[in-house]
Amino acid sequence: MHRSRERSRTSRRSIRAMGVMAAAVLAVTASLAGCSSTGGKRAEEARQQAASGKANVTTPRWKFAMVTHSGDGDTYWDIVQEGARQAAAKDNIEFLYSHDKEAGRQAQLVQTAIDKKVDGLIVTLAKPDAMKSVVKRAVKAGIPVITINSGQEVSRAFGALTHIGQDETVAGEAVGRELNERGKKKALCILHEQGNVGHEQRCDGVKKTFDGKVENLYVDGTNMPGVKSSVEAKLQSDKKVDTVVTLGAPFAATAAEAKKEAGSDAEVDTFDLNAKVASGLKDGTIGFAVDQQPYLQGYEAVDLLWLHRYNADMLGGGKPVLTGPQILTKKDAGKLEKLTERGTR
Amino acid sequence: MSDRKHEDLPMPEDLPLVELSGVSKFYGNIKALEDISLTVHPGRITCVLGDNGAGKSTLIKIVSGLHQHDAGTFRIQGEETRLGSPREALDRGIATVYQDLAVVPLMPVWRNFFLGSEPTVGWGPLRRMDVRTMRRTTRSELLRMGIDLRDVDQPIGTLSGGERQSVAIARAVHFGAKVLVLDEPTAALGVKQSGVVLKYVAAARDAGLGVVLITHNPHHAHLVGDRFVLLKRGTMAGSYEKAELELDELVRQMAGGSELEELSHELRR
Amino acid sequence: MTVTTGPGNTGGTEEGSGARQPGGPSGTAPAPSAGSEAERPAHRPLPVRLLRRPELGAVVGAVALFVFFSLIADSFLRTSSLSTVLYFSSTIGIMAVPVALLMIGGEFDLSTGVMVTSSALVSSMFSYQMTANTWVGVGVSLLVTLAIGFFNGFMLTRTKLPSFIITLATFLMLTGLNLGLTKLISGTVATKSISDMEGFDSARAVFASSVTIGGAHLQITVLWWLLLVAVATWILLRTRAGNWIFAVGGGVDAARAVGVPVARTKIGLYLGVAFAAWISGQHLLFNYDTVQSSEGVGNELIYIAAAVIGGCLLTGGYGSAIGAAVGALIFGMANKGIVYAQWNPDWFKFFLGAMLLLATLLNAWIRKRAEATR
Repeated sequence: MHRSRERSRTSRRSIRAMGVMAAAVLAVTASLAGCSSTGGKRAEEARQQAASGKANVTTPRWKFAMVTHSGDGDTYWDIVQEGARQAAAKDNIEFLYSHDKEAGRQAQLVQTAIDKKVDGLIVTLAKPDAMKSVVKRAVKAGIPVITINSGQEVSRAFGALTHIGQDETVAGEAVGRELNERGKKKALCILHEQGNVGHEQRCDGVKKTFDGKVENLYVDGTNMPGVKSSVEAKLQSDKKVDTVVTLGAPFAATAAEAKKEAGSDAEVDTFDLNAKVASGLKDGTIGFAVDQQPYLQGYEAVDLLWLHRYNADMLGGGKPVLTGPQILTKKDAGKLEKLTERGTR
Repeated sequence: MSDRKHEDLPMPEDLPLVELSGVSKFYGNIKALEDISLTVHPGRITCVLGDNGAGKSTLIKIVSGLHQHDAGTFRIQGEETRLGSPREALDRGIATVYQDLAVVPLMPVWRNFFLGSEPTVGWGPLRRMDVRTMRRTTRSELLRMGIDLRDVDQPIGTLSGGERQSVAIARAVHFGAKVLVLDEPTAALGVKQSGVVLKYVAAARDAGLGVVLITHNPHHAHLVGDRFVLLKRGTMAGSYEKAELELDELVRQMAGGSELEELSHELRR
Repeated sequence: MTVTTGPGNTGGTEEGSGARQPGGPSGTAPAPSAGSEAERPAHRPLPVRLLRRPELGAVVGAVALFVFFSLIADSFLRTSSLSTVLYFSSTIGIMAVPVALLMIGGEFDLSTGVMVTSSALVSSMFSYQMTANTWVGVGVSLLVTLAIGFFNGFMLTRTKLPSFIITLATFLMLTGLNLGLTKLISGTVATKSISDMEGFDSARAVFASSVTIGGAHLQITVLWWLLLVAVATWILLRTRAGNWIFAVGGGVDAARAVGVPVARTKIGLYLGVAFAAWISGQHLLFNYDTVQSSEGVGNELIYIAAAVIGGCLLTGGYGSAIGAAVGALIFGMANKGIVYAQWNPDWFKFFLGAMLLLATLLNAWIRKRAEATR
């Protein structure tokens, strides 16, 4: 028991040491005199025009749930949610969002939504087999279902009203054609998640239409220095590569960095969009981006569910609604920059 | 270190280095020790004997500062004390050598020798261990105890059990301990190795240290002991000077005394 | 500091007064005359000294791997390629070194991977939200990261629970906080760009610049890495703290019994890990400008693997900082070598696992040999 006293004494001493250190560091930072006159939140606020979200309809407050296969911390799904929330605000909808990258757990989340007796369900079908029974159960329970993003081929069969998204293979093919137009000879397709079906489809799509050679490179998306050095290593070992295609927006800037470091003059192109990609398009470090308009996927899904409940409408007569691929280049960059920073593109 | 030891040597024989009187210790409701008295004089070996669970290790923990007593008095050189930590015990001149946790097996001998009391040179961020001195001192101190190590850099775990105990004893002597507490130093050793360790114990005594030797081996105790304290189920079963006690009697007491007679009665066919 | 330094006695030959010299008993040689023998510096043959180094196995492995990839990948030996390998190795190594020290001290930290991300996020978001000079964010991040490390060490020494559990809890909590707080504050799961803010360029120069030395493009993280290895080696081999680190890992009860401040040593080790996490985090931020809040998960095991490949014992008390650095280098060479050799990377994890196993077996074997050559 006195041993614990000894311990607490040493701990207290450590705490005191910590305190002194903390004070020292604070003093240092304070003496650097605080503020930045450029950038930051203040600049953002100055830019921002408030987008009002007031309901404009008289329908009762329905409850819609969205369940996606997003992993933790994927910026893409932030934009989808942003679109869904804005549509929900406009349509007087209570919007619920949940996600899990494991299909089994995603199915369980759908089940909880069914148990909550939601008035509409939006779901992604990244691994259709695992989702099949639970989606059918929702349909059977009388809940209108719209699938988004992935699962175009099976959406109908599962009983969904429609599918909103971009066919990954088609998007890849668009990239292949664009590369042909730019006269490229050898492309590197950077997959940042091993075993992701959608990623494989994108690269396969590129392969299908591109006249040059395509090589896949797998990297660990949770380790940026790892991504950078792998791309660098590949570019150093294969000087014939004249194009790097990344499958996610956050990796485009890293690939551009790696290319610079490796002294390669390959062009960096990417799937998806974010603020850094937009500024990259503008200053020419990124050639083009293929966007599938995530905002639209979220917004339209909620809005179409509302239209369906309110007026039994279905856009496109139940045929898949495509939100991409849309090729974005330098000439789009100007207006995109503002939108990406707002978090809607 | 030597200065300290020599200063303390001419102490009046009647003032014990350590004196426990009526010491008790409770763990919650469990009585671990009750009314124990014990004295340690310089240049003498006090043996504490007892069966497993007799309270030997609790007694050690009190003397070495790991635990505190709940009743009775604990005096160090006549001054009543309550030790707060092993460090405090060390600073008061009480060094304890434990049976199995005497050393860190993977560390070199010289690092073990100075562990917790490393001499340093330099200042500020350049303050560093005086490795040369540490190596040399370790070697010479061990030689003084009669241990010739070819290499003080070898992990201490590669030494034999007796050698390890001896290093720990040499360390205590080097750091100017006045009281050396030895917890079952011969328990895990063979006859030959036990002899080695007992020689170092005697050497420490001759250097003027007061020694507390905890053991359950009456033969070893009787070889070196000057005083014997017998523990039984947390209480004192007896306290004898060497002159008062024959080895046979000690063995008999240790083997269970009257209980043994009963047992032999029961076992007789 | 309660620990008093032992008196600097050098010879001890003058104090023979009362001591009877027990002559060399049992197997040991008869005691020679103390004086001259003691002064003889202990010179061991070089091979024995080398064999006894914990990092030997890792160095052998690194050389083998280097030769291997030099032979099969023709682009591997170029200076630009080597600097790429060094860069990646350094990002692992900056963390592997303090993690190795922690493991020598007998503890684990599973929260290191996400702690790096936390550190970057705090720095970025503080600067952005407060519109502050980025250096202020960097300073606040240092405090927060050290606080996390202190929390780990404090909880460990207080509760006496295994560090595996404590830091697993920290790992999960940080993973959640990284996502939750970033989303709450920034509205998205990645931070906003701070590249246009004051202080960014100077901070970038410190944490994410590169220097050209003799035609080779060297990232500054490599210098940080080398600096940390040097400091850690100094602490481990030449300071009292180093002695204590070995002791609390190799025999915590023995260490406590001789007065080593166990709690303080362990908390210090966790603070060291946190400090390195701060450096890594700032590199992440200033090199890539924005930070994804989900990054870093899984890296903690890579750091531990590097330390183990470098000769650290999982049970504590044995290992070296240089070994951990070489372990990181092995990891970097293998990871990038596969790219240079244009191999199918699907097998990389298997390769890594096999290497870890081999390294551990090799280390165990070498240690046994070393102990036999005494």
